[in-house]
Amino acid sequence: MPERADFLHGGLRMRLVVGLKYILDPEIPPRDFRIDEEARRPVQGRASLVISPFDENALELALQMKDRDPATQVVALSAGPASSEEALRKALSLRVDEAVRVETDPLGEPDGEQTALLLARAVQRLGGDILLVGRQAGDWDRGQTGPIAAEILGWPCVTAVSRIEAADGRLRLRHEGPDGLEVVEATPPLVLTVTNDEANQLRIPKARDILATRSKQVGRLSLDDLGLSPEAVPPRSEVTRLYVPVEEHQCEWIEGDDAEAKARALADRLMALKVL
Amino acid sequence: MRVPTRQVYWNIPGHEWMYALFVVLLAVLAWGIWQRASLWRLGRPARRLDQPGRRLAEMNRQVILQARLLRDALSGPMHLLLSWGFVVLFLGTVVVFLKADLGLPVMQGPFYLYFQSLTLDLFGALALIATAVAAWRRYLERLPRLSRTVQDWVILALFALILLTGFVLEGLRIEVTRDPWGLWSPVGYLFGRLFASFLSVGAMRLLHRGLWWFHLVIAFAFLGLIPFSKMFHILLAPLNVYMRSLEPKGELPPMDVEAAAEAGEHLGAAELTDFSWKQLFDLDACTECGRCEAVCPAHAVGKALDPKYVVLNLREHLHAEGPSLLALAARARSAAENGPAEGEGEAVSHLVGPVIDPEALWACTTCRACMEACPVFIEHVPTIVQMRRYQVMELADYPATMQEALTSLEERGHPFRGSTASRLDWAEGLEVPLLSRLGGAEGLDYVLWVGCSAAFDERNQRIARALATLLQRAGVRFAILGDEERCTGDPARRMGNEFLFQMTARENVDLLRRYGVRRILTLCPHCYNTFRNEYPRFGGEYEVVHHSQLLRELLASGRLRVTRPSLLETTYHDPCYLGRYNDEYEAPRAVLGAVAGGGLREMERNRNHAFCCGAGGGRMWAEEAPSQRVNRERARQALATGARRVGTACPFCMTMLEDGIKSETGGDGSVEVRDLAEIVEEATRPAS
Ligand code: SF4
Ligand code: SF4
Repeated sequence: MPERADFLHGGLRMRLVVGLKYILDPEIPPRDFRIDEEARRPVQGRASLVISPFDENALELALQMKDRDPATQVVALSAGPASSEEALRKALSLRVDEAVRVETDPLGEPDGEQTALLLARAVQRLGGDILLVGRQAGDWDRGQTGPIAAEILGWPCVTAVSRIEAADGRLRLRHEGPDGLEVVEATPPLVLTVTNDEANQLRIPKARDILATRSKQVGRLSLDDLGLSPEAVPPRSEVTRLYVPVEEHQCEWIEGDDAEAKARALADRLMALKVL
Repeated sequence: MRVPTRQVYWNIPGHEWMYALFVVLLAVLAWGIWQRASLWRLGRPARRLDQPGRRLAEMNRQVILQARLLRDALSGPMHLLLSWGFVVLFLGTVVVFLKADLGLPVMQGPFYLYFQSLTLDLFGALALIATAVAAWRRYLERLPRLSRTVQDWVILALFALILLTGFVLEGLRIEVTRDPWGLWSPVGYLFGRLFASFLSVGAMRLLHRGLWWFHLVIAFAFLGLIPFSKMFHILLAPLNVYMRSLEPKGELPPMDVEAAAEAGEHLGAAELTDFSWKQLFDLDACTECGRCEAVCPAHAVGKALDPKYVVLNLREHLHAEGPSLLALAARARSAAENGPAEGEGEAVSHLVGPVIDPEALWACTTCRACMEACPVFIEHVPTIVQMRRYQVMELADYPATMQEALTSLEERGHPFRGSTASRLDWAEGLEVPLLSRLGGAEGLDYVLWVGCSAAFDERNQRIARALATLLQRAGVRFAILGDEERCTGDPARRMGNEFLFQMTARENVDLLRRYGVRRILTLCPHCYNTFRNEYPRFGGEYEVVHHSQLLRELLASGRLRVTRPSLLETTYHDPCYLGRYNDEYEAPRAVLGAVAGGGLREMERNRNHAFCCGAGGGRMWAEEAPSQRVNRERARQALATGARRVGTACPFCMTMLEDGIKSETGGDGSVEVRDLAEIVEEATRPAS
């Protein structure tokens, strides 16, 4: 097990683990979006897979901390099928120090709780001072992974963080609350869920770094490596029905000779429909 | 009868001193040329000396006949007379040398009278007039493209003085020696008469002797200045024309990104040594005429870009930094020979930032107007894109909206970030066959490559619809790739992401190979240019047709019949990538001629002089300050024709012009913007 960074006494030599979920492009044109109701999952078709947007923000925050202190280590971690290694390759092209995939194939598509467990175990195994994940995934939008992982790790969790500053051996976190911004100070170990902000848009990789990743390896951890078995990680939730809601529009013309007559007719009609 | 001739060095005792000065001149010239030429060695290799026949032919057209310069009705003839005067008078001096120093009997008889006297006199006189025109253009008309620095007036003054004193000298000699053939030099003769009217013979002799030395010294001074001034172009311009690129205009010089990365070279141009020797040569060849500046759309609307100063700033940097770079290279070589030296930190002397304003770098639309105008064939666009390559591929430092476009291109296959359309929306209800259903391109006339703009831009979907409708109407067998289509990579390449471009190109070539596609129809000049000029290098050889060309054919053959000629007067905007890059100016005009009964009104800047719409070079995805919008300027030019309709043949031009016209007319709908396909579709609708 790698040495734990001595955060408080030895400066900011931190090891940051960023969870990346590789998902169906949320910007897929509505026309192309299809669902397999039988299998209860969306159909990929020709749509691309992308890193979940808030996870991108989390990665950017981690990279910014590395920019400020090159001794900081960033580990990109993804729990998913082999295809998610693409996301990890992208992270490598942005110069993270390590990229590791937790193989989830025996679990099918893990839900938030399962993912949280996998990430937490992986963090314990890989070592890390902070786990950063997006505040919710761009596909299912459940927002459970971060807080549950914090439970499992027994670490404090700050949600909806948009910026991180290091000050006097502590971290100053900007939390986007419902009523405005809050600045929270905390010390690792920590779990942070990250929200977007103009200052944490993920940077783009440089061609030279993309080429350099070709020779780099993505590490893999099996359930076994994490001391888990499929039976030990049962799903806690089940999708019972998945469908695209059908919106129906009915259009009715309100007749009338002048504005007043039309207004009267409209009011009558709205009352008949019990809207008013 | 005596044989006509004249005495050389009449009245000049001690003229042998001239040789001493001549040796000095040669030394200065040699040193100066060496100073400059040695810097070109800093550049990387380039092949620019093949195909001598083709090169000589163009050199003849541009240097002897000066075809490009003559496009300017005043400056063109001016330059022709100045340069020809310079050459003819120089030859006259060579004849004197042949006689005086080699004793050849060349300066006598009819040759003396017709060439050495009359011709020289006439060319001298014309050059003098041209000098006056040049001075007028620069200092009285004050053309904005011309600079007015010290070197500009010194050179002009020297030229005028050399010519004037030459005539005075000739006239004085004719008068004093009572030259019986004096009238063969009419201008000199007149000068002689003038001086004789107020000077005695003795005074004229004295004046002649003094003036002769003065004339000699300023002539030598002028020649000696050549390698140190813009006059270097006398020597370099012909060479630069000879060494111009013979590759297709539409192809940006390719680079092997992976090999360069492996070899530890910069991807793109970070510093001078990343350019080729020809690019460095370009810098010294610039005549500072400002023709590129005068036509640059970005400059016209007040952006930081001025192609002339892209060249001149790089040149200044070359002269300032070049010598130390050479010394560094020499040291590196000797270090390599003597084994590794102590780790010399390699300091990069960056171009973008200190030498080239990044704003200028990103303002270029790659419209090629500058290259088309430059009389010495300087290649601005490849040099600009090469600097972009470094900014994009190594620094990832470029405008955010352009980054988004390229990220979208990479992740989603099109640069229209945030578009909610799908590749097939435009075709709804049209029953356009998909190549994936047909299994291959066999039996098809064309595969229609729709392009991202016509697929994802709601307005431009109408262009694709109109074209597909026309193809069906004319019975053309075609199919589309539908959601298998991806961007051709043109925006990536023009923005400098060569890596992404090449990846995209290879994928597309593979896809088209799988379907056996040979003939491609495009409605976008950018796609057209990329398939035609850039994919061959990636193994994609196609017959590529732009829809303007096919529509011309269909109209001419009667497969499309005009049923309702449109009566709106129309003006036509030439897309840069159809016109200047691919020389297609006539097909769109023929199409409009066939369907537009209202007649065609040309804008002042048309065909190869056309003013860009502002979208090229990735500018489509750049943020624009409202006061610096190229498209609004072009819209004003279109409105100035009084036409009620602006026709174009490019979806990007469509976006730009429609927006420009809307802003300029306040959106009152008085002037419409239409693609050729839309105009033809309306005019050939079957009467029902
Ligand atoms: S290509 Fe066009 S925009 Fe770019 S410098 Fe030349 S004239 Fe200006
Ligand atoms: S680059 Fe060409 S057009 Fe521009 S100033 Fe120099 S010579 Fe003239």
